[in-house]
This record gives sequence, structure tokens and C-alpha cells, in this order.
Amino acid sequence: MRKRVLLIEDNPENFFLMQYLLEKGGFQVMGADNGWLGIEMALFNIPDIILLDIQLPGMDGYSVMRRLRSTPELAKIPIVAVTSYAMAGNRELALQNGANGYIEKPIDPDAFTGQIEAFLNSSNTEVPK
Amino acid sequence: MRKGSKRCFFMDYIRSRGEEIDRILLYAFLIFTFALFIIVPFHAKTLKVGIAQNKPKVYWDEQGNPSGIFVDILDYIAEQEDWEIEYQKAAWDENLQLLESNQLDLVADVAFTTDRDKIYEFHQIPVLFSWTQIFARKGFQISRLDDLNGLRVAALKNSVQASLLQEMGKGLHLDITVVTATSFDEVLALVRDNKADAAATNYHFGKLNARRYNLEETDILFEPSSLHFAAPKGRHIDILKTIDKHLADQKRRPDTQYYRILKKHTSEEHEHGIPIWLIWGSLALISVTILLLVTVIIFRHQVHKRTAELKRANQDMEKRIEERTEELSLAMHKAQVADMLKSAFLATMSHELRTPLNSVIGFTGILLRQMPGPLNDEQKKMLSIVQNSARHLLSLINDVLDISKIEAGELELHMKEIELVPIIEDVFALINPQAEEKGLELNLRVSDHPRFIIVDERRFEQVLINLMGNAVKFTFQGKITLSYYAENNFLILRIEDTGIGIPNEMLSKLFQPFMQVDMGIDRKFEGTGLGLFISRKIIEMMGGSIEVQSEPAKGSCFTIKLPLSPQETPCENESC
Repeated sequence: MRKRVLLIEDNPENFFLMQYLLEKGGFQVMGADNGWLGIEMALFNIPDIILLDIQLPGMDGYSVMRRLRSTPELAKIPIVAVTSYAMAGNRELALQNGANGYIEKPIDPDAFTGQIEAFLNSSNTEVPK
Repeated sequence: MRKGSKRCFFMDYIRSRGEEIDRILLYAFLIFTFALFIIVPFHAKTLKVGIAQNKPKVYWDEQGNPSGIFVDILDYIAEQEDWEIEYQKAAWDENLQLLESNQLDLVADVAFTTDRDKIYEFHQIPVLFSWTQIFARKGFQISRLDDLNGLRVAALKNSVQASLLQEMGKGLHLDITVVTATSFDEVLALVRDNKADAAATNYHFGKLNARRYNLEETDILFEPSSLHFAAPKGRHIDILKTIDKHLADQKRRPDTQYYRILKKHTSEEHEHGIPIWLIWGSLALISVTILLLVTVIIFRHQVHKRTAELKRANQDMEKRIEERTEELSLAMHKAQVADMLKSAFLATMSHELRTPLNSVIGFTGILLRQMPGPLNDEQKKMLSIVQNSARHLLSLINDVLDISKIEAGELELHMKEIELVPIIEDVFALINPQAEEKGLELNLRVSDHPRFIIVDERRFEQVLINLMGNAVKFTFQGKITLSYYAENNFLILRIEDTGIGIPNEMLSKLFQPFMQVDMGIDRKFEGTGLGLFISRKIIEMMGGSIEVQSEPAKGSCFTIKLPLSPQETPCENESC
């Protein structure tokens, strides 16, 4: 049974990159380009893991995470935040708002799928190298 | 006119006659005529009259003008009779002597005595009556002649009073010491100054002047006398007769010049009742008061002026302070805005720059893994170049952002206690392939070390990767050794290589930004030149240091020192 990944990302190129890698890695990918849609889709079709960009239009990533955590059906799903290197506080903030871990942009295409799998298999908050 | 024409006529006459004798006669006549004009204004009589200071009977004022009862009366008579009076001032007894020797025609204010009548000529009717009054210091109680016993009594020299006192003393068996003075003023002064106990003066003088000398009238009086003008014996009989005629005439009625003169001289003093010193004192006081008032007013004016000036200066100051404060707050505001803009810029740029790189790195990676399909060797080679360039670009962006943050004081460290060994192992794993590629040996030397260290994990790793990467970059044969151990509460990490080394001149500049071993178009070594600068900054912010030793062609050794227990508040930004 393929694991389902909910990908909430507004940049089409980034989305394509991650989607391609994930599908090649054996995942089923659902996508939304904003937080509202993302939450709706999650409720519609409960995913196994949620991958979301911090910088989203409208409702930002942190709010989405809080929403997800406060929705009982979705509260237990592991969330991985996609952060940016320069924003030092982002990582901590992501973790505070309910993320289980984070991946930094630009992603390493060779390691990406492995990282997602690691998150699925454990509830580590650290990014496995 | 008449004289002039006479002269002219005579001049003509002289000229016409032309004889010397006539000329002499003529001049004599002219001199005579001329003298006549001088002599004619002369009165028939000029009298030299001796006067003394004996106010109010006879005296002269401060300007030296003769005055007094005798003077005024004589002046009046002289006016009637067309006499010319020449007053001569002297002391009283001097005058009598001069009279005796005929150097004076008259002397005023002479008391008639039978003795004197033998020596001088007197007129009949007295000008004034007088008597001797004894004056004493205020409160000195004497009332009878007997009280003069044993006292010093001052009197005018050669006066009636003086001789009277002598006689009385003998006659009444009283011990009276007569102290003589040259003027009535001096007589009173002697008593005031306690050189005598009582003063004998004529009543008029004493009454008018006693107060001035702090003396008062006593009940002792004697020897009434009549006062006259006196002439030398046998002379000026007609003058004296004339004086008598006038005096008799004047005394007949109460509204004559005589009585006016008397009144004038006997009541004068009372007008000057206010002692001079009081007048002067009051004037002085008033002047001083006015002066003080003026001074006060001036001062107050000055004070007001100064206060106003100060106030104005103060206001100016305050206004300027306000302006400055406004300027400052504006500047601060601008700085804050700039700061915010810079932070926003950094955030935006980092995000914006990374996004396209994400695609480049990501998709080249996918292509190189031949996920969409196989690649021929050329394609692989080219895509590798693209990927490397992308990675290089990413490190550049990272470095630039790091530098910006350091310069802006915004680089933050998140110190955490982490396990040392896994970090080292990760770094090794990353560097190993690069070393292997160049045929270099990568060694790890481990001694006694702590298990945990407190660092910003990512940054610490960044530094290690930077130094290790440099070691590999600049070594073409031999080995790279990483050793680490604890020493004196510090963690020491040493990265040694057998590379090309660093020339001496470069050593000091090594950690400066944008410094590279070789610069120029023909660069053989890639790198931003920022790595060491950032690495050192990061290590310093963590409370440590990086040192370097090198020998060209032999190798280099970089030593990192990190405190095992950093201070309570480790540097979280550049303001260390």
C-alpha cells in the first residue's frame, strides 16, 4: 500500500521537483497550493505525512500547522516543514508550531526521499543526514 | 566832548604858536583837568574805621564784607552825609591801639568808660546798650557772682569784661582766673573746650552764639555799658557830632532804619536755627538715598536685562534641543526603517535566490541519476558541471548572506549541547569522497575528549567542513589529519595537511574577507574567499579561536579552540 504524501507548495517548479522525486520514490502525492485547500484535501483524504512550505500565500505555514494540530482527525499526522536557510528562527518556529521536523531548501535531490521515509518511520525532530 | 574839543583847539593853538613854553603850560593844564576828573568823584570825607569780629554788633561775613549793627548804622549815616568809609579789620584791642596812634579815624563798638574818655573821643548818644553776661557749659549751675569763685573765666583781651573780672575778684575776695582770648568766639570756645569754666561776653554776642558752643546763659550779669564809635582824642569832633545827630533822630521813632537794623541783626540767628550739620546731614542723606535708589534701579534693570537674556538664551537652547531631538528621532527612525528594510531584504533575497537554485540543483540531480532516462557520457559530464556550478552558486549565496548578517549584527547562534562524535563522522563522510578523488589520505586521531559540546550545531559543522575542504583543496599529495582532544577545559581540533602551505605575507591577512591565496583572472582555486572570515567569526562568537601555522611546500595546520563550558550568556550576535 503506497504511502500518501500531502504536498502544500505554491511554487510550481518546487512542487514539480518534489512531486517527481516522491513519486519516483514510491509515494502517492496529493497537492495543494495554499493552506486552506491543503487542509480540505487532508480532511477529504487523510494522508500519511504532510509536507508544507513555510512561505505560503494567504495563511502562512505556521498557521496551517496549528490548524492541522487542532483538527482532531489530522492532529496525529507527521508534518515536515520546508524551511529556508537564511531564516534562522524558522526552524525553531516550525517545531514550536507543531512540525515534527524540517527540510531545508534547496533540497538535496539524492537524499530527499530517504528523509521523508525516515520521518514516516519515526517521530524524530532532527533532520537525518 | 568839551574837553576833547578844547584839546583840539589847543593843539591847533599849539601848532599855530609852536612855542615850547606854551606846550608845557598846555600839558600842565591838561593834567590838572584830568586829575580833576579823578578827584572830583572823591567825597569830602573818607573815614578809616576799625572793626572786629563781634557778631552781631560788628563783624565781617565769610566773603569779608563788613556787617553788623555798627556797620549798617555807619553806612546809613555815611550815605546821608556822603562819607566814604573804609573798614579795616583787626582784632578788637589792635583797633584801639591803631586809634591811639591815629592810624584809624574811628573804631566801632567801644564801650564808654571814664578812663577811656581820657584817651579817646566819644559821641554822646550810645549806638547800643550792652552788659556783660556770664555763659557756662550746659548744666554747669552757677547763678551768683560768688559762684565764680575758683573758676577760670574767659574774657576778651583788654576788654572791659576782663578788667572788671580782675577788679571783682580783688574786691569781692573771689579767686577768679581770667583766661584771655582774642575774639568773643574764642572766649566761648575756651569754655566749650574746658580751657575755662565760664565765659564773659557782652550780652548780644553771647545770646546769639552760646548755643553753638553748647553753652547756656547764666543769671550772672554785670556792668551795663553803652557802646559808641570812638575817635582819637581831640579829632573828628564834627564827625561824632554828626553821628549823634543821626542817632538822636533815628531813636525818636520806632520805625526808623536804626530799629530795622537792630531787628535784623538780633533776630538773624534765629532764622538759622537749624544747625548747619543738620542741613548738610539731611542733604547728604537725601543724596545718598537718591544714589542708592538710582543704584538699585540700575541694578534691577541690569538683573531684569540679564534675566531676560538668560531666558532668551534658555529658550534658544530649548528650541535647539527640540530641533536636535527631532533630528535625532528622525535619524533614528530612518535607521530603524533602513534596518527593517535590510532585514526584509535579506529574508526576501535569501528566499528568492534559493528558489531557482532549488530547481537547478534538484533537476540536475534527477537527470544525473538518470531517473527520466539514460544519459550518454557527454550529457553526464555536462550536467555534472551544471550541478557543481549550482552548488558553488549556492555556497556563494550562503556566504554573502552570512557576511551581510555579520555586518548587520544579525548573525544568531543557537547554542545547544550536542554529541561531538556524530558531527565529526558526518563531516568526515562528506569530505572523504573529495579526498579519495585526489588520492589523499584522510586520518582521524582521537584522544581523550568530552562526549558533549555546547555549540551551534549547524555553524560548527559549517566551520569544520570549511577547514577540511580547504585542506583537501590545497593538498595534492600526502594526507590530511583531523585530531581532537580536551585541554584545560577547552576542546582542541587540529586539521593538518601536507599541502602547498601559506606564504608568510598571507598569514596575517588570511582571515580577512575576500582574501584568497591567489587572486586574479587566472585563478586556480575556487572559492569566495569568505570561508575563513566567516569561520573565524563563528568560532569567536562561540567563545573560541582559530589559529594557523604554515610552512610553504610543507603544509598547514589550523587549530580550533572551543570552550567546553561557554559563559552563562554565550555570544548570540556579533556584539561580543
